Amino acid sequence: MKRIFPLILITIFLTSCQSLPVINASAPPADEKISACPFPFLKERYRLIHAIEIRMAGNSPGAIIGVTLADPATRLISCAILTAEGIVLFEAEEDAGLLKVNRALPPFDSADFAQNMIADIKLIFLAPAGKIVEKGILPGGAAVCRWREEDSGWIDVLSNQPKYIEIKRYSSCGSLKRHVKFEKTDKNIYQKIELRANELYNYSLLMTLIEAQPVKEELLINKAQGKKK
Amino acid sequence: MRTRYSLFGFPGIIFGLFLVIIFLTSAAADNFDQLRKDAAKIKTIQARFVQKKSMKILSNPLVSEGLFYYAAPDSFRWEYLKPLRSVVIAHKGDTKRYIASGGKMIEDKTGGVQAMKIVLNEIAGWMSGKFDQNPSFATTLKEGAYTEITLTPVEKNMAGMIEKIKITLSKKETAVKSVKIIESANAFTRIDFSDVQINKVISDKTFQDAE
Repeated sequence: MKRIFPLILITIFLTSCQSLPVINASAPPADEKISACPFPFLKERYRLIHAIEIRMAGNSPGAIIGVTLADPATRLISCAILTAEGIVLFEAEEDAGLLKVNRALPPFDSADFAQNMIADIKLIFLAPAGKIVEKGILPGGAAVCRWREEDSGWIDVLSNQPKYIEIKRYSSCGSLKRHVKFEKTDKNIYQKIELRANELYNYSLLMTLIEAQPVKEELLINKAQGKKK
Repeated sequence: MRTRYSLFGFPGIIFGLFLVIIFLTSAAADNFDQLRKDAAKIKTIQARFVQKKSMKILSNPLVSEGLFYYAAPDSFRWEYLKPLRSVVIAHKGDTKRYIASGGKMIEDKTGGVQAMKIVLNEIAGWMSGKFDQNPSFATTLKEGAYTEITLTPVEKNMAGMIEKIKITLSKKETAVKSVKIIESANAFTRIDFSDVQINKVISDKTFQDAE
């Protein structure tokens, strides 16, 4: 049994890894102008409030309200989850890579939840922390830019004219972990967002915008006040 | 159980609060015995509400609007119309929660229903005017320009969620001034009720159909 176990692990590893989608007519990497790439990310500090429908495999849907405060310049994220009734189930912030959970009621109190949630928020609202390594056209015709993440893995940002802008996050061995779709409308790009997560327990989030507003100096003030304390 | 209580206990608390408020308002009295007698006279209640949620991350309160219905002895409907449509209905011992999904109201079967029953049992005490005898809250009543009732949770599981509840009502007017549910120094919820109607006929369908 001891001899078989490593073989099983290797088999699982090899079968879970896949190759990334092929990009045709790829342009020279990295030094190309980023403006040519689809860019659904925030360009200034913003506060966004979404009604979020959560679907998990084997469970009936749940609904929550999500509040996100994001600063693309500093990559500072603050977020909160509320019930329709207004109770705060979860509140956290990440500044310079340091995660601070201010409130976490069940079922949002697991160790991994906060990290995964912040990672999902960053994926949706902030440009990837990494470099563009490839540009071109996917076999289906979508224009795509491929980013190599700083830590690991790849992120494809693609534009499917005229309906969607999409983000696909792949693991370091090429398996699709997240798929985000922004519906192109005349309104805010964040009006309708769909996120699908491929994990041990798959889930999807359907986000409908309630409110979006640029934030001026608020984040910096809060940060300064926090440091004084 | 703690999980479900956290997620779904809040509407139950609001139901209970509303009843306390109505009892207090209708009684316009400052003793609990009188309130218990007046509570027995209430057969139905319906009202609109505006809920304003304030917390550090929000520059302006998040405003929700909805409707509330109650029919004695144990039927409730607590409905948010916007920004996120959801309904909790309790009727003939059965409690269900619905959310809007794909343009329809679908039942939320995440397990909160059982907890809602427990919560509703708790507030059954309030329904009969026994809110000063509910072991979950310590209650104080303060008379001044306004009557202010303060409910402080004594049980640990609720204490982590709610710090204090303050109900303010006018002595002269029949309408409630405000309900403030304080979660922490930076987070509170204020609910204002309007168009309160007592003992007006409410169709059974209100407590059976989520749409």
